[in-house]
Amino acid sequence: MSAEPVLVMPGLEVERISDARGEPAALRAMRRQAREVLAEMVLPDRARHLWRYTDPRLFVPHRESVGAVPTEVRADWVVNGSHSATALIAGGAVRELELADVARRAGVTVTDLHGADVEETLGSAVPPSHGFVEALNTAVWQGGVLVRVPAGVRLAAPIELQIVAGGSGSVATPRVLVLAGESSSFEIVENHLCGTLESSHVLGISELLVGPSAHVRHGLVQRWHGGVIGHLTVRARLARGAKAQLSLASFGGAVVKVDAGALLEGEGAEVETCGVAMGGNRQHLDHHTEHLHSAPRTRSHLDFKVALTQAAHSTYTGLIRIAESAGASEAYQENRNLLLSADARAETIPELEILTDDVRCSHGATVAPLDAEQLFYLLSRGLPPGQAQRLIVYGFLDQTLRRLPQTTRERIEALIAERLHSED
Amino acid sequence: MTQPRPVVFACRCVHVWVGDREVVKGVDLVVAPGEIHAIMGPNGSGKSSFANALMGHPAYTLEGQVELNGEDVSGLSPDEKARAGMFLAFQYPVAIPGVSVASFLRAALTAVRGREIPVREFRRELHARMEELEMDPAFAGRHLNDGFSGGEKKRLEILQLLMLRPRFALLDETDSGLDIDALKVVAAGINAAAREDVGMVLVTHYQRLLDHVQPHVVHVLVEGRIVRSGKPELARELEARGYDWLSRENGRA
Repeated sequence: MSAEPVLVMPGLEVERISDARGEPAALRAMRRQAREVLAEMVLPDRARHLWRYTDPRLFVPHRESVGAVPTEVRADWVVNGSHSATALIAGGAVRELELADVARRAGVTVTDLHGADVEETLGSAVPPSHGFVEALNTAVWQGGVLVRVPAGVRLAAPIELQIVAGGSGSVATPRVLVLAGESSSFEIVENHLCGTLESSHVLGISELLVGPSAHVRHGLVQRWHGGVIGHLTVRARLARGAKAQLSLASFGGAVVKVDAGALLEGEGAEVETCGVAMGGNRQHLDHHTEHLHSAPRTRSHLDFKVALTQAAHSTYTGLIRIAESAGASEAYQENRNLLLSADARAETIPELEILTDDVRCSHGATVAPLDAEQLFYLLSRGLPPGQAQRLIVYGFLDQTLRRLPQTTRERIEALIAERLHSED
Repeated sequence: MTQPRPVVFACRCVHVWVGDREVVKGVDLVVAPGEIHAIMGPNGSGKSSFANALMGHPAYTLEGQVELNGEDVSGLSPDEKARAGMFLAFQYPVAIPGVSVASFLRAALTAVRGREIPVREFRRELHARMEELEMDPAFAGRHLNDGFSGGEKKRLEILQLLMLRPRFALLDETDSGLDIDALKVVAAGINAAAREDVGMVLVTHYQRLLDHVQPHVVHVLVEGRIVRSGKPELARELEARGYDWLSRENGRA
């Protein structure tokens, strides 16, 4: 057996980042510790499901660009609609921050993560040991926000973040930490986009700590341009009675890996993960979801849809783990893939680890081309082929989209329309 | 002096193949506006293949001449045929989840009329037609054929026939799977379309639809050939005697 090469990334000057940003001691220590974890790591075993279809080496950026002080990048700062808060993260820093009066009065804060006191919280959902990408991000992340919504606060308007990839050869390492107080309720949307058309890496982490009986609706809407190699990790930790809706939408990028999931740690916690991925050209999309049940009476639901054109390739792996301690839990997982060209490819691999008998768990997966009978039906009503195909794809995605919270859904629907019309 | 009979649909020498198996072996048919032709025949006689192939279903290969309003449409794609005024009511309408009846109908109407239909105008027309077919208005919000009963699917086909107002329609076993009430509603829809000058070919296995719809001509298709054409009484004769005697006569011929 040949060993994968050790991930060599020595001498990361993580202190320089802490110095430049005036970070508190806890953050400095966390970076140093992550650097040590990273130094011990080897690249993942490709026989494991998580990396079977995507080469981990693609996500190892050039040594020189890691931790470099980023250059300013241009970014469009357009956020429509009313918001509780907005923030722009670009060039490794928080560039804009706006907090609506109503949110401010309720005690909501959106702050630059570099100066924040997050000793107990940052890294608690995604520790450096999660994987080499996560260890690297924790050691060198730049450009992060901390969103804190106090107990009992329910926000009618969403919080929206624009997170912009860097310029040529750069590596963007954004970090988002969301703290949802007990019984709080709100929607937060992360828009991942590009300021330039050059190739770059993005290695991002978002952590959501959802307090007892809180309800967080989180959207991750990715529309990088075609030169980006990106890896995004999202984890929600759910306390007793907490509820999370995680929405994923992947449109752009050359090679994209998303690892999203929830840790159902409190009794009665619930997560619903819904995702839509649309690939074209020679895009490679790799999505992994994890719903880890460790408390009784927890519920998880997953619905992930993929539509591919041209020579796009998608891989989906979905893990449901129900611990012995998670009796009377329910889990459902469904992944459906629609192939719109003969060259498109998709794999779907469900993984179930059920350690107790007292559960209800089911899963379904399909990979299928466009249905010829559906297409003929629409053609026979006069719809031109392009429009007929679009309608079928809309219908295919619609059942997932209708479950999404409003702002996330609007963002995603606009991107689907843009993508489908560009195919004509 | 006789006026030349107006013709909305004409086909000559139509042959249809499924793979290398010939299922329709030279059919001629001429249909005038508002005229109803019934094509009857035993199972496997090629009735459905004929209807689907005329519309351009990709599973069939068609040879022969097909004219709509005097224009050769044999080279047109299914969507072009539809926009030229041709319609097929399906025997088994396919479900398209996530696409509502209303949004689909509006898209189809826009396509065949070649212009955007204002929402209010569309709604008014839709609701009037649905009322005619005794359909619940909530139906418009449901997904296309998704979880529909057999009767609901057939009503929707007739709703489309009335909304899209083709010049010529093929109705493939539209009477199958209907209870008597639904059959009457569907028949009323077909009669309404005929009054609006739609030329129609009803493909059917049984006489029962013809108790409510008066065809002008009945054709009997056996083994891919029209073996007899005649007045509506022919349908009653078939009901009484079955198809075997025609098959035998055809075999002798």
